[in-house]
Amino acid sequence: MNAYDPVGTKVFETEVLIIGGGVTGTGMMRDLALRGVNCLLIDQKDLNAGASGGNHGLLHSGGRYAATDWQTAAECRVEAQILKNTAQDCIDECGGIFAAVEGDDPDFAACFPDRCAKAGIPCHSLSPAEARAREPSLSDKVFAAFAVEDATIDPFHITLGNVNHAQKLTDSVYCPHTEAVDFEVASGTITSVLCRDNRTGDSVRIRAKQVVNAAGAWAMNVARLAGCTDVAVLYAKGTLIISNARMSNGVINRLRVPGDGDILVPGGTVSLLGTSSDNIASPDDVRPTINEVDRILREGIGLVPSLEHTRFIRAFSGVRPLLQTPGTDVDGRKASRGFRLFDHEDQGLSNFASLVGGKLTTYRLMAEKTGDLVARRLGNEAPCTTATALLPTGEADRWTKPGFAPRYWYKRNDPTDAILCECEMVPQSAVNEIAADAVGAEKNMTLRAIALRSRIGKGSCQGSFCAARVTSHLYERDVYECGEGRDHMRDFVSERFKGVRPVVWGKQMPQMELAEALHCGLMGLDLQDVGNNENGDGTA
Amino acid sequence: MAEMPNIIAPTIDFQAKAHDLLPDNASYDSCLSCGLCSSGCPASGFDGMDPRRFIRMAMLGLNEELSNTPWIWTCTLCQRCAYVCPMSIDVSVLVGYARSNWPKDKKPQGIVRSCEAQMRFPSTSAMGVMPDDFVEIIEEAVEDLRDEDARFKTIEAPMDKKGAYFFINQNSREPATEPEELAPLWKIFDYVGADWTYASKGWAAENFCMFTGDDDAWKEMVKQRVDAVNELGCKVWVNTECGHSFYTLWKGVERFGLQADFEAASLISYYAQWIREGKLPVNSDWNTQGLKFTVQDPCQLVRKSIGDPVADDLRYVATKLVGAENFIDMQPCRSANYCCGGGGGFLQAGMNEQRLAYGKRKFDQIEVTQADYVLTPCHNCHSQITDLCDHYEGGYRVIHFWTLICLSLGILGASERRYLGPGLADIGLSKSTS
Repeated sequence: MNAYDPVGTKVFETEVLIIGGGVTGTGMMRDLALRGVNCLLIDQKDLNAGASGGNHGLLHSGGRYAATDWQTAAECRVEAQILKNTAQDCIDECGGIFAAVEGDDPDFAACFPDRCAKAGIPCHSLSPAEARAREPSLSDKVFAAFAVEDATIDPFHITLGNVNHAQKLTDSVYCPHTEAVDFEVASGTITSVLCRDNRTGDSVRIRAKQVVNAAGAWAMNVARLAGCTDVAVLYAKGTLIISNARMSNGVINRLRVPGDGDILVPGGTVSLLGTSSDNIASPDDVRPTINEVDRILREGIGLVPSLEHTRFIRAFSGVRPLLQTPGTDVDGRKASRGFRLFDHEDQGLSNFASLVGGKLTTYRLMAEKTGDLVARRLGNEAPCTTATALLPTGEADRWTKPGFAPRYWYKRNDPTDAILCECEMVPQSAVNEIAADAVGAEKNMTLRAIALRSRIGKGSCQGSFCAARVTSHLYERDVYECGEGRDHMRDFVSERFKGVRPVVWGKQMPQMELAEALHCGLMGLDLQDVGNNENGDGTA
Repeated sequence: MAEMPNIIAPTIDFQAKAHDLLPDNASYDSCLSCGLCSSGCPASGFDGMDPRRFIRMAMLGLNEELSNTPWIWTCTLCQRCAYVCPMSIDVSVLVGYARSNWPKDKKPQGIVRSCEAQMRFPSTSAMGVMPDDFVEIIEEAVEDLRDEDARFKTIEAPMDKKGAYFFINQNSREPATEPEELAPLWKIFDYVGADWTYASKGWAAENFCMFTGDDDAWKEMVKQRVDAVNELGCKVWVNTECGHSFYTLWKGVERFGLQADFEAASLISYYAQWIREGKLPVNSDWNTQGLKFTVQDPCQLVRKSIGDPVADDLRYVATKLVGAENFIDMQPCRSANYCCGGGGGFLQAGMNEQRLAYGKRKFDQIEVTQADYVLTPCHNCHSQITDLCDHYEGGYRVIHFWTLICLSLGILGASERRYLGPGLADIGLSKSTS
């Protein structure tokens, strides 16, 4: 406790403070815990609130970058295989196709096998008929196609699994909605990081031997809090849309220079089409727009014509934190997908590191490099073991997997275990388990926090029913009191609607009419005073 | 907690099948998860299932579970889910498909045996009444009627009469187990001077093959019946007081693209027409006790087939018969009516506990009307609603329309009153025996 701290300031001590609860930060937490290191992980919001939650969930074969960035491509290949071996439960080895359709550059397509070969990426040629046999939804205008070893990964499952494992190994701790606001530095060493609990406004002081900045799109801001000016992040906003049903067996990539709407990725029971890429000035408050959705869709239809009549249930956006090196192009599509570890020693700090750039597919490698640096600084000689150690997941962390909850519920056949979320068939026992034991579970867990750890609100009704049902259930269990459940509900459905809004046409239109009737007509959520939401700023 | 069944059937890709079998805008992909289907489905809750869950499980890829759930035999295929669905999604289509997918020896054997009996003889009778037996039973019953009541000493029940205007079908229950219930219908035809005939082939009404999910057998049954009508050159095939037998032929002709040289009609429509035309001068004068009546709309006839016109006719006939002040509708009713639980083969499936639980909603609906009698032009409704009354100790009785029409006209014989209560046992008898 510092003499100047406000009354009630909580104080934590840890060996390593990690800032940023994305896949990299949690990967680092597990990496270090496997070396016996105790970590404290904080995030200004919650797990995967940035790019880790705003992506395709694509475990790249590397084919995507074979033409433009063969080193990243090669890294993708190696890392994807490691994850397939160690985190099988989070991965769907569905395979992938690169396909060029009439109008695409035939030369680019013709070079593809050689470029893959250079990066060591397995790829074999398919005739158009073979490609369409594998993926019946593929356009009949395909003239070149190659099969690659793409897979999909559930980024929520893997993040929850990382934290869960770290907690078990070294009693490491995760604190959600805890934002770093100031660094205390003495003699080139960070002595404390001062934080604010964004839900309560309370102050938190964290003393750590080492501090790691894995804040993704916010990494530049965090580095500057510590006085470091060497980190430069390019913010490339990407928007994706989610279909109501799975549209392909595997990943379908457009075989051309990467552009908008050229990857369709299955996500369990749905598919994700994306992305767009637009440079933006700030990573905060991004939301998908109609214009982006139109662009993605227009391009996607060329590859998979049935997208024109597909029901989409939601759009979402993420911000790619791209490494900006001086003098390089500022086009997000052309910027490197590589990553860089800053040790900040030239900035006069001896116990601070920042990790910038990279990809979901290469997160483990990024965590390993950072872990090596941090372990060395701590005098810890244990080697990194994440390339071989299997990732266990906790019971309360298994609910993000599409189709898991309904199978679990159906098999148990317990008529007293009511289904709360009908679209994704999530029973109340799952909600109870998450509220009690999931990674980051706490008193008064918000609906958004529960949804992050399950499939709640992710189905076609986008929270129309489950928001009210889960809230009621939690009131009944005395988890919520007074108006807080209502505020969480409004926050949750507003957040969902932000994503639904740009895709409200066709079959999703009556769905949203129904949602409006429930949320506004029945519950009057639009008429109540705007309370505090998770953003703390009254925005939806 | 009941153990879930083992793997019984091959796995179906339900989402893909729904895409194939349902209209694009009314396929599973259009589901709003609103639950209107489930809240109005009496089979909701059995085996952890309901219509919405069926759709959601299909969308979530729980194909193995859906392929094997016994719930498909507690759904009566009544299509109330489709009727109330804002997106018009018909869950019964895939339930029927799932039924077809079960190996024959695992399906409820009562339904399977009924279908097999139908396939055995050209009668198409589920109770195994052969053509010769049918002709003989009808002849005997006509003889009995002529002897019993002088007013009908020349009455006929024509058989295989070529060129007759009406081809009349007949539920097997009467010839097989209660032949005394045949005569009221003939008396009505006699009264209005209808030109009609039975046929020795394809006369039976019921079609349990449809409920086994075996499309080929369904088609075969309908084809034999259609051929029989075509062969006699009748103008109108009249479905008597039996619900699913209308649907099975009417829908079957369309579904299987059969050539039917006749119109399919419900006897209820003709009852109404004949009353309007003054040919059946029924009235409610006999109802001096103010007995109360309600009507069970057979799902197969009303919601699944003709809809409002026949629901209107049912009420027109009923109010003429019992007096408007003595008629109380169940709520909901007409095309939104709840299935009683006797349909879809449920009565034959041997799942009595579920069937009675399913019917509790119907029983409660009837009890609220405080009706003394439930009128229903459907044998399955008749049996089920009678069972419900026994099981839940209700105070009502279930009757056919033909009984009441003859009662009102003063032509109901003493032996034709098995479903009437003591209060009506003697009404109109003096005239009929004079």
